[in-house]
Amino acid sequence: MTEPLYGIMAEFGTPKALENAVKASKLAGYTKLDAFSPFPLSDVAKVLDVRTRAIPWIAFVAGLVGAAIQYGSQYWMNAVDYPINVGGRPLDSWPAFIPSTLIVAILWAGLATLLGLLLILRLPRLHHPVFAVPGFERASGDRFFLCISSDDPLFEPGAAWDFLQTLSPQRVREVPACG
Amino acid sequence: MEAPTHAVTRRIAEIPLSGHFGWKWWIALLISTGLVLLLGYTLAAVTFIGVGVWGVNIPFVWGFDLINYAWWIGIANGASLFAATLVLRRHDLRTAVNRFAEGVAFFAVICAGIFPIFHLGRPWLFYWVFPYPATFEVWPQFRSTLTWDFWAISTHAIVTSLLWYVGLIPDLATLRDRARTKLAQRIYGVFALGWRGSVWHWAYHQRAYRLVAILVLPLILIMQSTVAFEFAVTLVPDWHETRQPLHFVATGLAQGLSIVLLVAVLLRWSLRLERYIDDEDIDLLGKLVLATALVSGYLYLDEIAAALLTGGKAWEAIYHRMTGDYSGLYWTAIVYSVLIPQLFWLKLARQSVIAGVFVGISIGVGVWFDRFSIIIGGLQTDYLPSVWRTYSPTLSETGLFLGTIGLFAALLLLFVRFLPVVSMFESRHDEHEEKSS
Repeated sequence: MTEPLYGIMAEFGTPKALENAVKASKLAGYTKLDAFSPFPLSDVAKVLDVRTRAIPWIAFVAGLVGAAIQYGSQYWMNAVDYPINVGGRPLDSWPAFIPSTLIVAILWAGLATLLGLLLILRLPRLHHPVFAVPGFERASGDRFFLCISSDDPLFEPGAAWDFLQTLSPQRVREVPACG
Repeated sequence: MEAPTHAVTRRIAEIPLSGHFGWKWWIALLISTGLVLLLGYTLAAVTFIGVGVWGVNIPFVWGFDLINYAWWIGIANGASLFAATLVLRRHDLRTAVNRFAEGVAFFAVICAGIFPIFHLGRPWLFYWVFPYPATFEVWPQFRSTLTWDFWAISTHAIVTSLLWYVGLIPDLATLRDRARTKLAQRIYGVFALGWRGSVWHWAYHQRAYRLVAILVLPLILIMQSTVAFEFAVTLVPDWHETRQPLHFVATGLAQGLSIVLLVAVLLRWSLRLERYIDDEDIDLLGKLVLATALVSGYLYLDEIAAALLTGGKAWEAIYHRMTGDYSGLYWTAIVYSVLIPQLFWLKLARQSVIAGVFVGISIGVGVWFDRFSIIIGGLQTDYLPSVWRTYSPTLSETGLFLGTIGLFAALLLLFVRFLPVVSMFESRHDEHEEKSS
């Protein structure tokens, strides 16, 4: 084994087997773990301590900024920079400025949610080492994968391989790192 | 042995990945493409010749363009509201219906967006409503409702497409993994953005998906209210009512649901998706359509009551709509969008394909007549008797309307052909839950 590895990957047939394998790997002291499944598994996410609280915060802050910019620009344009007297109505007519302020807040929050999602997940990317594993395409069908990354302080290819074999997977494979 | 989750993926993935799609699909696409060409022709006519090709004139500055705009927005809003509610409720039904409800909403917004832009008369200058630093040093007048429209439509289009796309990402990855040709693999691969189905991906994805769904709820209420405010802030007696937003939101919801029902029934029948869109789903949709039709009925009564309370010109205006030149439209709207849906009290009707199509179209038509009655019938009784006349659409306007229906159908047909109409990852999840329980 001379070529550098991204990690060692085990394949399982059921979500329960994957969950047990993730728990066992955590117990064995591995920390750089990733699990792949065809549908969301909230139990596995809990075991791996995945926190998603950043998403609502991103949306909230972006929404506030969007609202402030929209209201501020309407006020500045219509009351300060280019005031038009329409039948003596107030220049800063806030009720008329509210609908688009709310709408633009939603626009900013929505766009920030998607961009934040992509940024956090480091997407889009066209390639990733795990795609090189034969049979990995079934991660979007009916197979469940666990990968111990080579970044893990405990990682040692032979030991990780043997350890994954003890979890009764369908098969274990090396994930070559890509240049 | 193959796990059942795999079977689901294959059944739904087979639809977009199959090499041929049957002659019925081609004929439907041919007809709708023909209508899209008609749309292009009528849009070119109004662009090069001008709005004179339309039947609009003072006082009817709003004719078919605004009727159809309000109508398409109603469909978009009803469908979005339905899809977002399903995502948030985590109801079983959403697995089947929310994906194409999102699609229906998105395509309807595209159709709706065409009208206000061409209604401007000089559509190539539409960006003037956007506050950009112009050489004339003037800014848009934000106290006008028409500038709200710009923000409302563009935001509605972006957020609806986001909801649709975010939900699609994992399924695009599935199609990438199952594609048989290199080209299909690459195209789906690029749009799947490198989705790997990692635990982190799923957790963040589910959070973001639900969050966008939450954002859609207030958006559609504001969007439809903005449309309604454009009427309410004018001095036209029939329009100058604070109840307008409610009327537009509620009838729009009935209309959106009825179109979702129509598409659901047609998809189920044409793609044989009975397993994923089952009788219970259709039954529930039917009940929702019935409920919203009852709300519409209540609002028609409310309209009369509000006009009676206001009295004077407001009552005269509504009375004129009920008995005047366009009274037929008013009563047809009530029959089509309130009375005919009462068929759905019968379980037999809720589960029949023919009744589903019939009621779906009936509400769509009814609400269209309602918009016509409000926009044209309402304007007829203005304060100035000298402008009391009638309006009828020209061939160009009718072509424009038919064209958007063709565009909607074409987009829907392409969607069915190239993308999964039913959420595959949700179906996999549900089958798994069923198996383990």
